[in-house]
Amino acid sequence: MSDHHKETFITKYIFSLDHKMIAKQFLLTGMFMALVGMLMSAIFRVQLANPGESSILYNFLPSHWINEVGALNPDKYLALVTMHGTILVFWVLTAGLSGTFANFLIPLQIGARDMASGFINMLSYWFFFAATVVLIWSIYVPSGPASGGWTIYPPLSALPQSIPGSGTGMTLWLVAITLFIVGSLLGGLNYIVTILNLRTKGMSMKRLPLTVWALFFTAILGVLSFPVLLSCGLLLIFDRSFGTSFYLSDIVINGEVLHNIGGSPILFEHLFWFLGHPEVYIILLPALGITSEIIATNSRKPIFGYKAMVGSLLAIAFLSFVVWGHHMFMTGMNPFLGSVFTFTTLLIAIPSAVKVFNFLATLWKANIRFTPAMLFAIATVSTFITGGLTGLILGDSALDINVHDTYFVVGHFHIVMGLSAIYGMLAGVYHWFPKMYGRMMNKSLGYIHFWTTFICAYGVFFPMHFLGLAGLPRRYYTNSSFPMFDGLSDINSIITFFALSGAVVQVIFLFNFFYSIFKGPKTTKNPWKSTTLEWTTPVERIHGNWPGELPEVKRWAYDYSKPGYEDDFVPQTVELKEGEKDV
Amino acid sequence: MSVNIKAIKQLLWIGIGSICMFFAGLTSAYIVRKAEGNWMSFEIPDPFIYSTVVIIISSIVLTFAKSKLKQEASPFKIILTVFILGIIFTALQVNGWKELTNQGVFLTGEGSNAAGSFLYILTLAHLVHLVGGLVALLFSSVSAVKGKYSLENSIGLDLTSTYWHFLGILWLYLFFFLKYV
Amino acid sequence: MANVLIPLIIILAIVALVQITRVSELLGELKKIDVNNVTEEDNNTQGFLFVVIGGAFLIFVVWQMLEWNHLLLPPASSMHGEQIDALMQFTMGLILVAFFLLTPILFYFAYKYRGRKDNRAYYYPHNNKLELIWTVVPTIILTGVIIYGLKTWDSVMNVDTSDAHEIEVYSKQFQWLAREAGEDKVLGASNFKLIDATNNLGVDMEDPNSLDDKVVREVHLVVDKPVLLKFRSQDVIHSAFLPHFRVQMNCVPGLSTQFAFTPTQTTKEMKIQEGEDFDYVLLCNKICGAAHYNMQMKFVVETQEEYDAWIASQKTLDEKLLTQK
Repeated sequence: MSDHHKETFITKYIFSLDHKMIAKQFLLTGMFMALVGMLMSAIFRVQLANPGESSILYNFLPSHWINEVGALNPDKYLALVTMHGTILVFWVLTAGLSGTFANFLIPLQIGARDMASGFINMLSYWFFFAATVVLIWSIYVPSGPASGGWTIYPPLSALPQSIPGSGTGMTLWLVAITLFIVGSLLGGLNYIVTILNLRTKGMSMKRLPLTVWALFFTAILGVLSFPVLLSCGLLLIFDRSFGTSFYLSDIVINGEVLHNIGGSPILFEHLFWFLGHPEVYIILLPALGITSEIIATNSRKPIFGYKAMVGSLLAIAFLSFVVWGHHMFMTGMNPFLGSVFTFTTLLIAIPSAVKVFNFLATLWKANIRFTPAMLFAIATVSTFITGGLTGLILGDSALDINVHDTYFVVGHFHIVMGLSAIYGMLAGVYHWFPKMYGRMMNKSLGYIHFWTTFICAYGVFFPMHFLGLAGLPRRYYTNSSFPMFDGLSDINSIITFFALSGAVVQVIFLFNFFYSIFKGPKTTKNPWKSTTLEWTTPVERIHGNWPGELPEVKRWAYDYSKPGYEDDFVPQTVELKEGEKDV
Repeated sequence: MSVNIKAIKQLLWIGIGSICMFFAGLTSAYIVRKAEGNWMSFEIPDPFIYSTVVIIISSIVLTFAKSKLKQEASPFKIILTVFILGIIFTALQVNGWKELTNQGVFLTGEGSNAAGSFLYILTLAHLVHLVGGLVALLFSSVSAVKGKYSLENSIGLDLTSTYWHFLGILWLYLFFFLKYV
Repeated sequence: MANVLIPLIIILAIVALVQITRVSELLGELKKIDVNNVTEEDNNTQGFLFVVIGGAFLIFVVWQMLEWNHLLLPPASSMHGEQIDALMQFTMGLILVAFFLLTPILFYFAYKYRGRKDNRAYYYPHNNKLELIWTVVPTIILTGVIIYGLKTWDSVMNVDTSDAHEIEVYSKQFQWLAREAGEDKVLGASNFKLIDATNNLGVDMEDPNSLDDKVVREVHLVVDKPVLLKFRSQDVIHSAFLPHFRVQMNCVPGLSTQFAFTPTQTTKEMKIQEGEDFDYVLLCNKICGAAHYNMQMKFVVETQEEYDAWIASQKTLDEKLLTQK
């Protein structure tokens, strides 16, 4: 307990050790980066709809990115795509999502005063912050930011001769990602240890809310996979800056014969995707956890099949380590190896299906209260279904031959991972906003935000499947250089229309968010009539979360509408009645 | 308070797990890369053998720190000895690199080979982690001088010891890996 | 003008939002109700919207399938491609059934079980039998998908290439080149250190097999004859993508990859079917630099006679390099 010492502005808002404040720091930084990433996507969508034309959106870009006629330079198009991917995958959906909700929810939901180490937690944020600064800086270097795709496959990412962004921009990218990894690891260690050790009395693992379970598995995935990305990046740094040949071999570029012999770019891909695939679930699992929690609360019904939900999270987390090869079916890998990866990949469909059915069963005979958070949670299930199903095509090596790296993939992962996670994040923000800021967000604006976002998002990403099935590769500056794609321009225009509209309507959310922080109506202690521990804390933020004793947990987290109780929710702190069984 | 100590120790253990994954990544890259051929073979220079001995000794010495506490004596000299052994280890590693370049094994440039580069990078990565260990030893020795450690309150020393032993084991792993794989 | 207009519109929109929010909150204060409390009316509206907008989404999906069907790739023009297409139809059918089953259920449940004041949810924490069913059923279906998929993969990738016609496809920023083996049917050795302005594939001219090799700027294939494409890359990773043949393989510097297939339809036949401007084309499908989007090479499928005539008109490397010198 550290509420004895006085907090200054600096210790309260900047170098805060309080997990709730650190969570908000992650959230705000994540939101800022989300805006940057979204703006980038808006810009390259404009290029795709009107290739080679000028646009006022280009005013946001450094002037040397634009050519004489005012159009975007092709290599800078790739820079935008690369940075958009990097920002969304790492900055928004890893740090912004896990960082926010793991920090905020873990201590509150398990009944702890704070994280195991507040100091490491603070370091975690400041490493992330430093990473953010470096990444943003890299956008403004003269040769441009990293442009080799967010997967930074060498040799493209290793050789500045191959694309300008692989110069200083790429170096800064690697610095930023290294800082980012250190930050994530520090955070992840803390989450795991906190969950294992600091649960309050009565909070057995079997009683943990699903959010905490999801964040727990996420942290384990991160702790095991991020170091491998670091080792992968380290070798790349040596190849780039010191002339080793881990990934490089037999290269002639711009007429220059490089000395490197014997390296293998495929080695990079193996190391990269060993992180890269768990990373997908690092993004997705917290969203699924948040969704489970919000759906149960607002259905006024226990989550259906709690054990199966935990089990499927575990299965997904485990499988995510043995499927990385499905990103590499087309690298000329041994066909037998391809078969193995197809097998393991398609297995993931089983726990995923279980999750979907359990979500549906939770909604069955529910008494749904449509808060904005609930709308987003239902949308998460929808995108998880839509995007998950197309995974059956991409995970199947034989089918992957013709859709690999096409827009079909772009549609698939934006729906299943991007949208699910973003919806999960927005749902979480709407749901826990009262806990974060002691005020309510405006409901009607929430509704408008949800429906416009929902429509626009499907309008953007569903048509992409058709582009992919028509054979259009991703990361193309324009589809106009191949006559066979001429018919696709209309689809591109539709997508861009929805993308721009979708970007604009986020203003509603931003407004609602910031307005409500200062002017929103004051909330009560438990506005959603929820059972979990975070709603037993006082509305005012205090260091240490609970005044006096820590609450004691008597039951699991999902006693909604339990027969025998008048209220339709029974908080975890309420003693079991005589003869009453905990689930 | 015991919950916190347990938590902090666990924090270190999971951190160690994370570091293991980092080296697992590098060494599996080594195996995959070696399997692809174009691989130079060379002898591991002697300084690396000496450094292995030194780091083993340092770990053994460090175990006496705890028994000093049992005798209610200051573990300062023990920690300082380990620190010095750590410095010697570092010096030997640097010497090993020199020997390597004399043998014609280079990290980079024309005539370098991934086999050599890997050796440099693995030893370097280990050394970077070892520097962390040296800093921890330094802090521990300051605490020891100030008389902060007792048998009941030795968390700082325990953490430092765990990490230092881990560095030793990690080096043994790397050494035998480089020698025999 | 537009530069001023857009920020102005955004500012106006924000002002409007502030006003709407303020007014709704003030009204709430006047009426002594909490505007952010979800009422039964809200539940009705939102439940209804799930049916309407969810339904509209499904209609949008169907509309896309009808409207854009003609834009999709034509049926495969290769033997293995037909297998892939069959597998694709099977899998696509399966996921469409699942999609059109699950999505309406989700939206319908949202509508049907929208909250009412006098209602209470049914406490139903788990049902092991039910959960077992929906673990086992997907598992069985998936087993089918996996077996079918692996069989197809196996027959696509493990092809007997002994009598296939070998062609080297060579990639570099931002161009494709190809090399025919010539009369000896053997591609000469190559080494990246030999690459220069004239010998842009780095072919080793000391190797007698190289002399009759022919470097070409478009690839001609003989219909119904198996072909083995061997891929090399000069600088970064490229990916050779021939969507009409259902062929794709990465081209990796320092590594040799390959793909064997048999084209089944000539370009002429395809032109009749797909329109006069149809051509088989090779695209780059791995981000490779600024002009990635424009890296293409024509593939022509023709009869044996047409091919013979074409190949005879191409110069051998020996002739080319000799004339250079």
